[in-house]
Amino acid sequence: MKRVQFEHSAVPYLFIAPQILIISIFFLWPAAQALYQSFLLEDAFGLSSQFVWFRNFEDVLSSSSWTRSAIFTVVFSVLVSVLSIAISLFLAVRADEVIRGAKTYKTLLMWGYAIAPPVAGLLGNMMFNPLMGDLYKAFNSFGFEFNHIQNANDAAFVVILIAVWKQVSVNFIFFLSGLQGIPKSVQEAATLDCKSPERRFWTITFPLLAPTTFFLLVINLTYAFFETFGIIDVSTKGAPGGSTATLVYKVYVDGFLGADMGGSAAQSVLLMIMVSVLTVFQFRFIERKVHY
Amino acid sequence: MATVTLNQAQKTYPNGFKAIHGIDLKIEDGEFTVLVGPSGCGKSTLLRMIAGLESISDGEISIDDKVVNKIAPADRDIAMVFQNYALYPHMNNYDNMAYGLKNRGYSKAEIDTKVREAARILQLDDHLERKPRQLSGGQRQRVAMGRAIVREPKVFLFDEPLSNLDAKLRVDMRLEIKNLQQRLGITSVYVTHDQVEAMTLADRLIVMNGGIAEQIGSPIDIYEKPASQFVAGFIGSPAMNFLKGKVSDDKKHVTFGDGVMLDLDYDVEAGREVTVGIRPEHLDLLQDGEGRINAPVRMVESLGAETLVYLDFGANADNVTLRLQGTHQFAKGDQLSLSVPANKIHLFDIDSGKRL
Repeated sequence: MKRVQFEHSAVPYLFIAPQILIISIFFLWPAAQALYQSFLLEDAFGLSSQFVWFRNFEDVLSSSSWTRSAIFTVVFSVLVSVLSIAISLFLAVRADEVIRGAKTYKTLLMWGYAIAPPVAGLLGNMMFNPLMGDLYKAFNSFGFEFNHIQNANDAAFVVILIAVWKQVSVNFIFFLSGLQGIPKSVQEAATLDCKSPERRFWTITFPLLAPTTFFLLVINLTYAFFETFGIIDVSTKGAPGGSTATLVYKVYVDGFLGADMGGSAAQSVLLMIMVSVLTVFQFRFIERKVHY
Repeated sequence: MATVTLNQAQKTYPNGFKAIHGIDLKIEDGEFTVLVGPSGCGKSTLLRMIAGLESISDGEISIDDKVVNKIAPADRDIAMVFQNYALYPHMNNYDNMAYGLKNRGYSKAEIDTKVREAARILQLDDHLERKPRQLSGGQRQRVAMGRAIVREPKVFLFDEPLSNLDAKLRVDMRLEIKNLQQRLGITSVYVTHDQVEAMTLADRLIVMNGGIAEQIGSPIDIYEKPASQFVAGFIGSPAMNFLKGKVSDDKKHVTFGDGVMLDLDYDVEAGREVTVGIRPEHLDLLQDGEGRINAPVRMVESLGAETLVYLDFGANADNVTLRLQGTHQFAKGDQLSLSVPANKIHLFDIDSGKRL
């Protein structure tokens, strides 16, 4: 890699200044504040506060509701990421093979991308409405005793379904462009070398898509951790009994609805640490294996 | 080994475009056949039909008397070398060569023997553990050849394998391919748009134009007796000169607009308008005033071993190229005096372009 050298010039700093400014205002400053606040115990009206060191963290880590939410978040994130990656990979591979009407398929599959998470949540809410929801009725008419308002598993199913559906289109776009980036002649060489299409997929296509898959894994885990907030807030609101509240949603509920600023801040600091560790892990141990 | 037979093979695309208009051909066992033609003539399509990468719309293609129209590419027992190498970027060079064997159920020991043998022949021994991207263009093309060789297929297919290489490497690889093919004696079909490659490699040459085979024959036959004006213009470099002329009343001469007359050794009816073809290397330079053709020099290109002279011929100042051995000093406007032996003149029909 060639490097352009600016000798002790202010120019490069000037170029990255806008980005630094944005990161400082919207990330570093709030993060620092959260860190500071996580050491404070505040009264419900925010009029007085006292420095309590790690008591907020002790409270959070010893609370069963936080542990439950953490477990749910992990299960939820893994399921959402794996399912949406698997489904979109399947769809992209199929759509890539289509010749007639390919554009229509692709456009329809990408449409979901344009929908904001809360809107997706709203759509899910309507489809699972016990009074008029088509999916709710359909599930029950098949003999499942489906009730996401009272059953925690059913509720989790609803949230995961909406979150996956929303994310499939994003992944689809990346996989499709990844597939189109594989030279046609490489695929043709593979058809001469290997008769079975399945084997060809797992030995040639999938390894060549590995960098895309890795990128999407990072993106999807982040999505499942943070961006699904809107979906949960509109559809289940963490119900029943906080069983579908991810950590991010719990931060919001405890801090803004429960007015426990210190506890909420401590939770968000823990979340930040978890995501940092996860990201470092992904780049250190997985990334090296996927690039060719 | 294997023969390849094409019986009225045709290709029509779904949009109605007819890429191949029915080709009949029998490629003998061990023969090196070259398909040559300008871009869009259908030569690659034909090769891909033999490979099974394009379906055959009509007619039949057989390998060893077995019709392969409906047989999957992997089962046709062919191996192909692509223009852009088409190596698997995530595998090292060893695995690239071994992949086709693994999928055909060879044992590890057999694969190892075959791959190491191919690597030895192609001088790739030291590069087997590397990935394709760590190799130069020529080495990559060798790996691609190795991938074809290890399979010991019935037929080798080459799709412009040298086009991505630089000029010097292209010449080396050309010799290497010819050498290898003769040693292994595997029936080969080679596609190129480069007529030097075509002439040097081919046992038999197929000149294609607009989806039909214009002429099939040995390279020298095609050079000496081109079947049409298209073939005459395509094979040979620099290209053959074409001039409009008329056969004289005694049928012994061909005349041009401004009284120039050349001897003719042809059986054509008197007074017929024809296209006269003369190769640049068949024009003889004579002393001033001795030749039948006198024309001024327009431009000179000196290549060292030979000199190309561009002349203005006749009343219309048609371009005529002259190819001379060695170096010559001419200035623009110098009058050159030339002649052509009667047996080096080609006549073509003015409308159809067919050889007379």
